[in-house]
Amino acid sequence: MEDNHDDLIPQKQSLFPVSAEDIVDNALQNLDEKQAKEVTKKAADELVRIAVEKRKAEYRSDRAQDEMRNLINNANLLDERVSDYKINSTFETATGTTSVEIKKSRFNTILLISAIAIFVLLALVLLLIRF
Amino acid sequence: MLALIILAIIVALYFGYDYFRRASTPKVLKPKNSELMKVLLNLDEEPLDELFALYKQEFGTSAARYARETHRKWRSGEVRPNKQTFRRFFMYLPKVMSFDLKCEVLRELREEYLHKEQYELAVYTDNWKETLSPLVKEVIAKGESAQLPAAIQKKLIWLADDDAEVASAILVRSQRMEAEQNLEMLEKEFATIDQLLDNTNGKGKVTHLLKLPFGAITLHIKRR
Repeated sequence: MEDNHDDLIPQKQSLFPVSAEDIVDNALQNLDEKQAKEVTKKAADELVRIAVEKRKAEYRSDRAQDEMRNLINNANLLDERVSDYKINSTFETATGTTSVEIKKSRFNTILLISAIAIFVLLALVLLLIRF
Repeated sequence: MLALIILAIIVALYFGYDYFRRASTPKVLKPKNSELMKVLLNLDEEPLDELFALYKQEFGTSAARYARETHRKWRSGEVRPNKQTFRRFFMYLPKVMSFDLKCEVLRELREEYLHKEQYELAVYTDNWKETLSPLVKEVIAKGESAQLPAAIQKKLIWLADDDAEVASAILVRSQRMEAEQNLEMLEKEFATIDQLLDNTNGKGKVTHLLKLPFGAITLHIKRR
């Protein structure tokens, strides 16, 4: 699992000759002491901001998980009680938006069975005509 | 008569060709001063306050009061800022802005003017990582190398200063970290989606819009 995870998150690669870190290092040499301090502070602030964003995202993730569980329960209940239903739901998750559609239609099942029956019947008729 | 018809056909062909040539040529972005002002005034409350405080410090109380009173109209496009106001905000103030504020201004500009690609991908719950990985790498690589349009760089010459370059590098690094953070959390979300598809016995259809700071990927998710 860990290996796969490493695959998904790109490692630092040499696609571009100068990385963001190189730019920071090079430019820092040209800044005065006050500016350099401001840069260090901003970099630290960004880390805090990202940590806060992560916490918010985790909260969204937990809530979305609960809502999805509820959706499954509702779909199962509907499954037992009615033959036709369609549920559309959207969840704000940690990484984006998940849209779910759950659809059960008796009409489709009947249509499918009828189509198969007609096909079998036609095949039989053709066979009988031939022999 | 025949000559007239031929002439009309030639003129129609010329204008038709010209129309299609213009339509197929990508438009070069030339941001207007008023558009840039809208972007600047989209700053969060705290940096916006800092910006106005700086404006007051540099150009006096009455100019600051006017800017405060008019900024909503500038933001909505109801009133266009004159050249002097634009110059004050975009040419002069960046020279005296704190590094923090400059970063925030740059963040707004990047948010508005860096093109975010949209992708679509079909994945299964048991192979999403392998399928998604190359695309994610591409999106992040493109995002990291993206530059503000040349027209903006030409207009806002302070973007070429050392501190603005550092600000840009910090923002790029932050965005990369945010993207990585998102991808870490995707694992848990796919486990939930897998469970959902399993429980709906083939009756469920799931689409997930994965938002990354550099672009978005619409995933059409299926279960085998």
